[in-house]
Amino acid sequence: MVCESCMVESKKVLEVSGLRKSFGSVQAVDDISFSVCSGEVFGLLGPNGAGKTTTLKSMLGLVVPDGGLVKIEGFDGLKDPKNARKNVGFLPERVALYQNLTALQNLELFAQVKGVSLSSCIPLLEQVGLADAMNRRVGGFSKGMLQRLGLARALVGSPSVLVLDEPTGGLDPRGVVEIRNQILELKKSGVTVVLSSHILSEVQAVCDRVAIVSGGRLVAVDTIDNLSSGLAMSPKVVLDVGESLPINIMKDLEAVEGVVGVEMRGCMLHVSCSRASMAGVVCKVVAAGGMIRDMQIIEPSLEEVFMKLTSANGGGK
Amino acid sequence: MSFGHEVVAVARKEILDNIRSKWVLVLSFIFALLTVVVSYYGSLGSDWQSLDLTIAGMMSLVEFLVSIIGLMLGYAAINGEVESGELLGVLALPLRRLELLLGKFAGLGVVLSSSVLIGFGVGGLIIALNVSGSVDWLMFLGFIFSSVLYGLVFLALSLLWSALLRRRSASMGLSVFSWFFFTMIWGIIILGILMGEMLNSSSFSMPDWYFVVNLLNPMQVYVSLVSLIVPSAAAEMSVVPEWYSAPLLVLVLCVWIVGCLSLAMWRFDRRDV
Repeated sequence: MVCESCMVESKKVLEVSGLRKSFGSVQAVDDISFSVCSGEVFGLLGPNGAGKTTTLKSMLGLVVPDGGLVKIEGFDGLKDPKNARKNVGFLPERVALYQNLTALQNLELFAQVKGVSLSSCIPLLEQVGLADAMNRRVGGFSKGMLQRLGLARALVGSPSVLVLDEPTGGLDPRGVVEIRNQILELKKSGVTVVLSSHILSEVQAVCDRVAIVSGGRLVAVDTIDNLSSGLAMSPKVVLDVGESLPINIMKDLEAVEGVVGVEMRGCMLHVSCSRASMAGVVCKVVAAGGMIRDMQIIEPSLEEVFMKLTSANGGGK
Repeated sequence: MSFGHEVVAVARKEILDNIRSKWVLVLSFIFALLTVVVSYYGSLGSDWQSLDLTIAGMMSLVEFLVSIIGLMLGYAAINGEVESGELLGVLALPLRRLELLLGKFAGLGVVLSSSVLIGFGVGGLIIALNVSGSVDWLMFLGFIFSSVLYGLVFLALSLLWSALLRRRSASMGLSVFSWFFFTMIWGIIILGILMGEMLNSSSFSMPDWYFVVNLLNPMQVYVSLVSLIVPSAAAEMSVVPEWYSAPLLVLVLCVWIVGCLSLAMWRFDRRDV
């Protein structure tokens, strides 16, 4: 079956429809709808206070939404949360574990509640590199160790859907890379991942599709490529031309069809243009006597897409 | 609805947590020491007191101590874990909130019960080995059972405060107030009303309403229950009307537990984590 959300051969495992939640006078989540397909890595992106965490918590029944519908693997997340959460693993933004218990005992609690074998906990600790610390009290763990243990805890019972709320928040660069690699490994094994983040490079590195949330509202849902082309954001050709260019080349380049912007930064010529006009740009530079020492094509970044989409919406609350 | 491994898992966590924090050990030691000290020094150190006299001697202490322990075990069990974030992970599991609450009550109840059982059990054994004459073990077990049930009432009450209030400091404050209310304020209010009645009548006997109202205070219910179980100590502790019976008083304590847990569940189920 072709999923109409991501247009690939898969089924929807998560559907959120018309989700609303307010805290007093603040509308934290306002009519958010999206769906996630099996095996997809889906990013929920937005500035701080945009409503990402509230959306994830509403999906999992941790906050009671004012309205809307959540379906996880066909189960109603609001009316039948127990069954809906059966195949879900969750890594909260702030991983808090029972300090008096050991790493293994913390995992065993989760295994026992999920009704899976306690012996499955040790391989999980090995997977996240905490096998040596399994009998140590969690109270003495570093932030990075807690985050890895939190991920192991989310993986108890081999869930088919993994919900990660700011999974790399507060981690050092090594920790960020480790968690990112874990997510990519999970993607390879067919796990559906929904992650929220405001770190755009992280989302761009792992996500198949993103939903951009701003001010509690859903601003856009699509692949990063589609979002940028939908916003008519052109790629950029960056040419290292040294000192070789005549001054009037800027005007000539602006006249080329498909060119939307030309800028000279030192010896680097930045030309924003459509893909079709790139060859014309290069020819024009060469014809004008420019010596091209290096050339790069830069695709529109998620950061640019994000800024363009959220600036119109006022950002977080 | 089926409750099974989820409740056991949460209860196991509570037990492990309290064993790790040495709560069970400390409480058991306090109860054993209390029993032995009251028995030995209650007779001015000349000889060991019998178990029933020991119970009568330590009633007030047990009444205060067990209730405080029940309140301390549960006052932060829910809001404390919401504040520190542990419940976020746990409640994202396939687990009903009712199962979590029951698991917490069961686990903390086991901690409380085993402390009372081990503490008083060891104390009782030491006394039994030292006193002359036979020991009424059934009576002693009845006393331990009543103390456990009484502790569970205060545990359920503290879970109610913990589910009702957002901050652990607030639920601790309300727990302390409840303890003062039932131990001190209640007595002052009832005494005031009784004094008013005494001034208006020539002869005085305890009115019926007094015994009915006392059923609303778990401390009074507990004292009356122990008075029925340990007859030799009854005169020192409480006046008990004829219509009071052990099953009735046990039922009242059970209603307290079920009532507190039901209210806690009602609130917890509607709460954002």
